[in-house]
Amino acid sequence: MKELRMILYKELIHIVRDKITLFLVLAIPIMLVLLFGFTISTEIRNAKVAVLDQSKDSQSVALIDKISSSGYFQVVAYPETESEIDRDFKEMDIKLAIIIPSEFEHSLEKEKIATLQIINDVSDLNVASVLNNYLQAITHDFITEYNHKGSESGTVEMVTNMRYNPEMNSVYMFVPGIITLIMIIVTALMSSITLAREKETGTMNMLLITPVKKVYVIIGKVIPYMCLSLISTAMIILISVFVFKMPVNGSIWLLLLLCIIFMFTAASFGMMISAISKTQIDAMMVTMMGLFLPTVLLSGFLFPLDNMPMFFQVLADVFPAKWFIIAIKDVMIKGSGFFDIWKYLGILILMAIVLITISLTNVDKRK
Amino acid sequence: MQSIVAKDLTKQFGTFTAVNHINFEVEKGEIFGFLGANGAGKTTAIKMMSGLLLPTSGDALIGGYSIRTESKQIKKHIGYMSQRFSLYNDLTVFENMQLFGTVYGIPPKELKQRINNSLEELMLLDKKNSLVASIPLGWKQKLAFATAILHRPEIVFLDEPTSGVDPIVRREFWKLIYQAAAQGITIFVTTHYMDEAEYCHRISIMSDGCLKLIGTPDELKQQMGVNSIEEVFVKFVNR
Repeated sequence: MKELRMILYKELIHIVRDKITLFLVLAIPIMLVLLFGFTISTEIRNAKVAVLDQSKDSQSVALIDKISSSGYFQVVAYPETESEIDRDFKEMDIKLAIIIPSEFEHSLEKEKIATLQIINDVSDLNVASVLNNYLQAITHDFITEYNHKGSESGTVEMVTNMRYNPEMNSVYMFVPGIITLIMIIVTALMSSITLAREKETGTMNMLLITPVKKVYVIIGKVIPYMCLSLISTAMIILISVFVFKMPVNGSIWLLLLLCIIFMFTAASFGMMISAISKTQIDAMMVTMMGLFLPTVLLSGFLFPLDNMPMFFQVLADVFPAKWFIIAIKDVMIKGSGFFDIWKYLGILILMAIVLITISLTNVDKRK
Repeated sequence: MQSIVAKDLTKQFGTFTAVNHINFEVEKGEIFGFLGANGAGKTTAIKMMSGLLLPTSGDALIGGYSIRTESKQIKKHIGYMSQRFSLYNDLTVFENMQLFGTVYGIPPKELKQRINNSLEELMLLDKKNSLVASIPLGWKQKLAFATAILHRPEIVFLDEPTSGVDPIVRREFWKLIYQAAAQGITIFVTTHYMDEAEYCHRISIMSDGCLKLIGTPDELKQQMGVNSIEEVFVKFVNR
């Protein structure tokens, strides 16, 4: 153990004396959160819409009022026919048209169900999907109020291809993603690169020729970076809570436990990469191709998994990021407890065990 | 007593034979020069003897321990210094020595004492807390040697320890080697400087993975009928 402590001490010195890297590791998470938070906002205000009201009864007018007073939509045209809608799309640059069918109030009262037809300008898919979600939320509010007034329970059906995502908020989307990326960059990439650097400069051979266990050399390398990534994660969460008002609805301890477990999974990836790569370039390429890209593309962080071909959906299951992102969203947003996410924790732990076993069986072999 | 006994030591990488059935013995306290052209297989042989590589066939006893089955024991009894300077540049002189001393299991108090003594002998005591990156190459090499023998190994492997170092520092370096040998440490050294070869008790010349010549410098010169080891080497490589 004295040897391990010594190796840890040495790694700590490496990190603290490399001021530029240390600064980057600590500053990048902050920059990323602020950058994503202030620039990549999916919130849209005052989107131009056209409403074709074929019903013109009290409920349809109430709904239109609600839509235009929401702040998200600005009703700029009231076309009379569907062909006029096409004109408005081209000339008024509307993003969305709403068609309220005739006898809206009547069908709501009698048949308990009314239909809204939505026509989207899908040239910007993101905008379309965000607007649909707003509209869905507004309609939902509307029908809740309607149901409160009478004892009736009616529904408004929206005919649209978009899915409902009740927590469509950009901060909620990217914070788990950034935590995942930082954990992977700091724990897996940094530790495997610095280990490969020692192989390149020859200091690795100096260590391997001593009686110290190779496992200690690798563990000693990984642990300081694990701590560093935990600090970064804490900063990301603090910024998202205090600057971007992201809620932490679940237990903060559960959140911590989840982050620590994912940190181990990322670290075990780092150990495996260290075991197989001989140069810094190797380590970088393996991490980028084998871990970083799949995390960005297949974690559901930037691109929804539901729309992907089956093959990629299955592939996404193999990488830890997807499970971590689901779990962290559940804890932070839905306020899920331990028993709601234990499955995901189990998957992450299992992955770490498998990876560590693979790398340890390769580590102490002489060839 | 023999410190090193190599028996048919062989290493193949695929179809390429880097080290081909070499046999030799090195006595305790001997300075054994291991010469050969670049790519002759010297580094591979050293890597096998220090426990970094497993031989394809054959065996070697280092301090009485087999490199096949007792590499853990061997590691405690050898020191190693490579042709490339391989201490940590971002650690101070003291921290480097502390690191390697600790992984060899030297108790902290004892270690501090040994580091101070060793730095005093090298007259580097005032550099104790300087970053290794900031000191000249010649001093670094002396420091690396001092670090390699800090745990008082039976055998120390020096892989081209003086490459890129000026003649004055080389002479000082060889003084250190003689001091260590006088204390009973066996020195196994590779070099491309033929004047250094003359300083060795015995030398061997390797070529294409085989050990072609072995003997004292005088024996080899007589055998080849020349006046210097350099001529021995050139004559040998050219034939």
